Amino acid sequence: MNLERLPNEEKLSLCRKYYLGGFAFLPFLWLVNVVWFFREAFVKPAYTEQLQIKTYVKRSALGLLLWVAVLTTWITIFQHFRAEWGEVGDYLSFTIPLGIP
Amino acid sequence: MANNAEDIENNMQNQQQSNGSPEPAQQPQEAGVTRVRSRGGSGAEGGGGGGGGRGGSGGGNGSGPEQNGQPPAARAPRVVETEEDEDEELTLKYGAKHVIMLFVPVTLCMVVVVATIKSVSFYTQNDGQRLIYTPFPEDTDTVAQRALNSILNATIMITVIIVMTLVLVLLYKYRCYKVIQGWLFLSSLLLLFFFSYIYLKEVFKTYNVAMDYFTLAVIIWNFGVVGMMCIHWKGPLRLQQAYLIMISALMALVFIKYLPEWTAWLILAVISVYDLLAVLCPKGPLRILVETAQERNEPIFPALIYSSTMVWLVNMADTDRPKRNSTEAASPQQETQQAVASPAPSSPSQDDGGFTPSWVSQQEHQLGPLQTTEETRREIQQLPSARPPVEDDDEERGVKLGLGDFIFYSMLVGKASAAASGDWNTTLACFVAILIGLCLTLLLLAIFKKALPALPISIFFGLVFYFATDNLVRPFMDKLALHQFYI
Repeated sequence: MNLERLPNEEKLSLCRKYYLGGFAFLPFLWLVNVVWFFREAFVKPAYTEQLQIKTYVKRSALGLLLWVAVLTTWITIFQHFRAEWGEVGDYLSFTIPLGIP
Repeated sequence: MANNAEDIENNMQNQQQSNGSPEPAQQPQEAGVTRVRSRGGSGAEGGGGGGGGRGGSGGGNGSGPEQNGQPPAARAPRVVETEEDEDEELTLKYGAKHVIMLFVPVTLCMVVVVATIKSVSFYTQNDGQRLIYTPFPEDTDTVAQRALNSILNATIMITVIIVMTLVLVLLYKYRCYKVIQGWLFLSSLLLLFFFSYIYLKEVFKTYNVAMDYFTLAVIIWNFGVVGMMCIHWKGPLRLQQAYLIMISALMALVFIKYLPEWTAWLILAVISVYDLLAVLCPKGPLRILVETAQERNEPIFPALIYSSTMVWLVNMADTDRPKRNSTEAASPQQETQQAVASPAPSSPSQDDGGFTPSWVSQQEHQLGPLQTTEETRREIQQLPSARPPVEDDDEERGVKLGLGDFIFYSMLVGKASAAASGDWNTTLACFVAILIGLCLTLLLLAIFKKALPALPISIFFGLVFYFATDNLVRPFMDKLALHQFYI
C-alpha cells in the first residue's frame, strides 16, 4: 500500500482508522500510525486534511508513550519482584526461568 | 518481459494457495491447501493441517507475467525496427532487478529459520509427535521399513495436497469466493496467533527469560491484530512484507519440526515434481486456476502473495496505459526532480527504475529525450486508460513470489542446518543453490512470460547440493583440515 497514490481524503480516513483502532489495547497500531503518517503530517507541504492527520498522529504518539510507560513500569516491577512474590509470581508467569533467581 | 499492463492485470490471478499448516498431532485441523501459482502461495498455510503446506506452488514466481516492465509500447513509428531489441533488453533489465528484489526477502526468511533452528532446540527435538498426515513413524528397525514408511508418508501428504488443490480450483470455478476468503482468513489467524505464541514461548524458554501473562497477551494481541490488518487490509508495504516473511518462517519451522527426516526430503522432491506438473500441464489444476482467473480478469486474493512494488515508467505521453510510479521513495521529489535526460540522476532516494545511465542515454538517443519527471508521470496518470486501474495497483505491479515458495525454500535450508553433519558448509551450499535456482527461474520467466513453478529448479539444486555437500564435500574438507592441507 503506497500512501503516495491515495487521495487525501483516504489518507485521512486511514489515519483515523488506525488511530481509533489503537484504543483496543493496540499500541503497536499507534506506533505504525505514527511512523507511517509522520512524513505526511509533518514533512509534506500543507494540504487541507493535513491538520487533522497531524492531530491524529500526535494523539497516537501520546497514547503510545503512555502505553510504553505503563508497560515498562509493569515489566520492571514484575522482573524485579517475581521471585519474592512466591506463588503469585508463579501464577502470573508464563515461562519460569530455571536456576536460582 | 515486455509485459503490458494487461498481462500484469491478467496475471493477477495467482492461484491461491493455502497450505495446511501442519498441525501438531493434538489438533487435527483442516489443512487448507491451495496452491498459488504465479503469485505465490500463501501463507495461509496456516490452515492447519498438516503439513500440507504446500507452498509449493511454486507458482511461477510471481514475476511471471507480473513483471512489471512497462515496455515502451507506443513508440513513434520511426523506431519500430529497434523495438524488438529494446524489448529484449528491457526484459532482461527488469528481470535482473526483480531477481535482486526477491533475493532479500528469501534470504531474510531463510536467515530467520536457520537462526531459530540453531538457537531454539525445540524445533529440532523429536517429541514423537507427528502430523496426522504423516502417520508412519521413521524410527523403525530396518532401513527398508524406514524407507517404506517415508514413501507412504510422502504419498499421503501429496495426496492431501492434490485433493486440497482440486478443492480450491473447484471452489474458485464455482465462485465460492467467500469460502476461500474465510479459509485464508482462518489460516492466517492461526499462524499469526497460535504459532507465534508457541514460537515466543520456546524462545523465552531458550533464553531463560521470565514472562508474565499480561505482557505476553499484549505482545501476541498486538502482533496478531496488526498482522491481520497489514496482510488482509491496508498497511505499510514494508510491514506487510515483514509479516509475510515472518509467517512463512513460522510455517517452515513447523514443517521442520513435525516432518521426519526422510519424509521431509521426499516430500520436497515430490512437491517440486507436482508443482511442475500442476502448473505446466494443460490439465493441471493450477494452470486451470490461472486460466480461469485470467478469463474472468480478476485478481486472486492478493493477501497471500509476497510482492515488492516497483513500477517502471519508461515512456509516456502517447500510451493509453496507466503508468504510475510507485517507488516508495518518490514522494520527496514532487517538486524537484527532472529525471533522465542524460545520465539519469540517481539520487539516493530516487529509484531510477533500474535504468542505468548508459541505457537511458541510449534510449534517449533512439527515442528522443525521455522524460520521466513527476509532471509527466502525473499527466500520464490522468490519461484515460484502456483498462481501469485496479485499486490495489501497487500490489500488482511488483515482483511477486508465492509464500509457499518461501516456505519450502526455508524448509530446505532449515532442514539442512538442522540435520546435516557438515553444518555450515551444507547450509550455505543449500542457500546458494536455492538462490541460483531462483535466478534461473526468473530468467525463464522473463523468457517465457507465463506462470512458472518456482519450486522445481531451486529445490532440485538445493537437494543435489545438500546431498552432495553432506556426503562428498564435507568428508573431503575434513580430511584436508586434518592433514593441514590448504587448497
